[in-house]
Amino acid sequence: MAEFDSKLPVSGGKNHVFEACHHVVKALRASDNNLDANLRKLLSDLEMHLSTFGIADTEVEDVGFSEIKERFKEAVKKIRSWETNQSTILEAGLSEANQFFQALYEVQSVLVGFKALPIKTNQKEKDVYNQATVALDIAMLRLEKELRDVLHQHKQHVQPEYLAVSSRRKDIVYDESFVSLDDEVVVEASLHEDDEQISDFYSSDLVDPSVLPHIKAIANVMFACEYDQPFCEAFISVQREALDEYMVTLEMERFSCVDVLKMEWEDLNGAMRKWTRVVKIITQVYLASEKQLCEQILGDFESISTACFIEISKDTVLSLLNFGEAVALRSCKPEMLERFLSMYEVSAEILVDVDNLFPDEAGSFLRIAFHDMSKKLADHTTATFLKFKDAIASDESARPFHGGGIHHLTRYVMNYLKLLPEYTDTLNSLLQNIHVDDSIPEKTGEDVLPSTFSPMARHLRSIVTTLESSLERKAQLYADEALKSIFLMNNFRYMVQKVKGSELRHLFGDEWIRKHIASYQRNVTNYERSSWSSILALLTEKNESVRTLRERCKLFSLAFDDVYKNQTHWSVPDPELRDDLHISTSVKVVQSYRGFLGRNAVRIGEKHIRYTCEDIENMLLDLFECSPSPRSLLSSRRR
Amino acid sequence: MARPTEFQGSFLSRISIRRNQIVSMDVNHEHELEELEYFQKHVAERFSELITSPSPHHSSSSSSDAAAVSHPSDPILSIPWLQNLLDVFMSCEAEFKAVLSTTQISKSPSLERVLPEMLDRILKALDLCNAVVNGIDSVRQSRRLAEIAVTALKQRPLCDGSVRRAKRALTSLLIGLNADERRDRNSGGSGCSNQRRTTSRSWSFGTRSNVTGGGSYGQVVSKNWSATKQIQAMVANLVLPRGAEASGPVMPVYIMSSVMVLVMWVLVAAVPCQTSSVLVAPLPLPKHQNWASAAVNIQERIGEELKRKEKRCGGGGLMEEMQRMEKIGLSLMDFAERFRYPADEEEEVVVAEKVDEMEEICRGMEVGLEDLQRQVRQVFHRLVRSRIEIVSVLDQAPAI
Repeated sequence: MAEFDSKLPVSGGKNHVFEACHHVVKALRASDNNLDANLRKLLSDLEMHLSTFGIADTEVEDVGFSEIKERFKEAVKKIRSWETNQSTILEAGLSEANQFFQALYEVQSVLVGFKALPIKTNQKEKDVYNQATVALDIAMLRLEKELRDVLHQHKQHVQPEYLAVSSRRKDIVYDESFVSLDDEVVVEASLHEDDEQISDFYSSDLVDPSVLPHIKAIANVMFACEYDQPFCEAFISVQREALDEYMVTLEMERFSCVDVLKMEWEDLNGAMRKWTRVVKIITQVYLASEKQLCEQILGDFESISTACFIEISKDTVLSLLNFGEAVALRSCKPEMLERFLSMYEVSAEILVDVDNLFPDEAGSFLRIAFHDMSKKLADHTTATFLKFKDAIASDESARPFHGGGIHHLTRYVMNYLKLLPEYTDTLNSLLQNIHVDDSIPEKTGEDVLPSTFSPMARHLRSIVTTLESSLERKAQLYADEALKSIFLMNNFRYMVQKVKGSELRHLFGDEWIRKHIASYQRNVTNYERSSWSSILALLTEKNESVRTLRERCKLFSLAFDDVYKNQTHWSVPDPELRDDLHISTSVKVVQSYRGFLGRNAVRIGEKHIRYTCEDIENMLLDLFECSPSPRSLLSSRRR
Repeated sequence: MARPTEFQGSFLSRISIRRNQIVSMDVNHEHELEELEYFQKHVAERFSELITSPSPHHSSSSSSDAAAVSHPSDPILSIPWLQNLLDVFMSCEAEFKAVLSTTQISKSPSLERVLPEMLDRILKALDLCNAVVNGIDSVRQSRRLAEIAVTALKQRPLCDGSVRRAKRALTSLLIGLNADERRDRNSGGSGCSNQRRTTSRSWSFGTRSNVTGGGSYGQVVSKNWSATKQIQAMVANLVLPRGAEASGPVMPVYIMSSVMVLVMWVLVAAVPCQTSSVLVAPLPLPKHQNWASAAVNIQERIGEELKRKEKRCGGGGLMEEMQRMEKIGLSLMDFAERFRYPADEEEEVVVAEKVDEMEEICRGMEVGLEDLQRQVRQVFHRLVRSRIEIVSVLDQAPAI
């Protein structure tokens, strides 16, 4: 009651209380002659006190009752006048609101006064009481409507900038042959998430703060009149609806487990991406604000505030949880890793918020459910990560890769790995207890970054080792030793470049990079040896006959033609590497040829020499240019 | 962070060990038969507990009829009974996995056929669990409405104001409990009462569609999702194994699937869920088989209840507490509509009794619903785990 009294705009309230008390005293005396002595004493004391205010004699008292009746009639009229009025009391202004609350107060004091009376009162008074209960109910129903209307009309939306869910980003596409993840896609993809925008969350007002005192007044009055349950019911229903509506604004659909398992990867990917954002907005902004609102309005009734908050949020929270659970039912396809990582990352991040939102026993159902889900996403993400290696290991080719260029598996794996440093902390925590064989021995020292031997780094190196074995197997498919070397050189070079040019370098470390540079350089040497040694051997002559020399020159031209015909179809996509290769080949071949011609051109005779040194030099530049072939046409069209 | 392989559990590793053992067919088959028999016995026993047995506090494993009579069991479809049902389900599930772990999947191509079907059923059961969790929330709303009526009708002296308030709450309660139609028919649908309801609906709880199954309480997923359809789909390819298969590893899969469908069906019948059509008795359980007899009994009894309720209104929401709530709600509503101030003292006493009973139901629901919800969630997690285990079994099968 104290709450009610203190919040109601009181004017002339004191008199009513005296009048009511007086009435009570009189009735008590009249009703029962068996009052015990103490009570009788108390009554006369009270009467004396009241009399000092000059309203204690019976005549005044009767006048008092009729006065109360008069005011009561007015109060009921006031309340009735609002019964069917569709506008809000708030709109009608402060004085109108005061009058309404005052009228309510009149009704309430009649009820309080009457309640203190014994059952036996006259019919007239009983009728007044009955009317008062009806008037009170009308007023309460009116306030319930007021609550709904005000909450609804003054609801504020969470900042729209939280809402922009980007759909422009491309993603890893499901592709069993690993051909989908090309450099261009990744360039776009690495323009990372627009998460930064929502990194500094703050709770906002879901309802215009200027109407809060009005809502609080409604709450206090309804609670004081023991209409707390209807208040909560109305409050919950409006706020639940607002949250539902907000979820519609966020375009967060509800999916069943069956839906999620049936969904095409592209659609699911979109839904997962959306979930990652929505779950953050809902837990960190919306529900935090909702909780704040509940506390502002019902802060004096803590357990009720908590119960209302849970009731408002439960349905939506469960629908978000269910999506997370459903996604973890999908099989662990490598292309889903990044989405799983970000879903898991968010689910782990918001656990703190969830713990704050639902700290006590009442919210334990939701709190525990969130922790369960996060755990499941963790397991699922780890399993997906580990499966990636298996997928690489089991990628087999039947035919050699055309032109010895960069295999799509290499592209896919390296570009895939490039996306992962963003999730370094998450991956380190997921992988920390999972052993893996490392390709470089652990080292410590000033020049070694700790990240180089983090769980994630070990696993990434292990993945690349798997890739290397797969490439070795693919290289065995080439009949031509030289092409085999070119293939390995290209792919190793690509791996090194990807590592050096990205965050991966801190993870793979200098030693790994050195080792792999050495590895592709070895392949350059191998190439030169297997491709040119025998040909250049033709140019080393010793006092031979013209005929033999001519024969040598002819054989050289034929062999060179052969190399030219083959190796112009070969591919060395890296321009720097190609230049190096051109130069080093040119140095060896042209010098040998020039020396040969210098020593023997005159004897051989000009018409027997097919190529000049310049010819050779120019033709060598055509090597590794990957001249058009069906395969390359196809790949250029694909882009 | 735990290893991801952890959830693949012991059952999986047992399978792979067994797979590598060289066991003669005969010995193995004999063992299988033993396991199957044990499993059937387990299902039979646990389910018969549900109809005859003492409540769990007195759970002596031998459920003799005498004991059952001396301790009246929880009424069928009541919250404690549903909790027992879920306990039974979980224990059957655990037994099922034990049985499955003794079978050699590589030697049973039929198992490779029925396990994916079971996975599909589990998936649907997961959605049903979610729908039931939501449905329980709508029951909790009914409880809150009933509490408003209780508070109002406990006022003394009883007068028009509190009766008005109670009537409003009861109207919403009865709409929520699906009993509205019947009430209309009984009260002859007088124009006056209809008008009253419309106004109160536009102002009070009726504004939000708290009608179960329709509004946001109870809506789990997309609008065209229906619990009944899910159950029908779960039964669609469930066929009793015949001939040699009846004693093979396919049988426990059939039994467990039947148990799962039955339990889901009971939940959907008890708790208001998003459904599109009338819920009918779902599966042709083989009555003559030992394990099924108690389950058949339960199915028939609930089927009867459903039919009775269907005649009155759409069916569903058979939870014993809800039915009692509805009954008391209707009689309180009758009282409220007849009420003239001042109250007749005798009638006040009668109403007070009903209000006390209603309060008792609310109290029981307060804890019971929360626990039930938790338990359904547990079933959800258990099914997820089983699904993962079955998937890994199937993944490994072709490699052998």
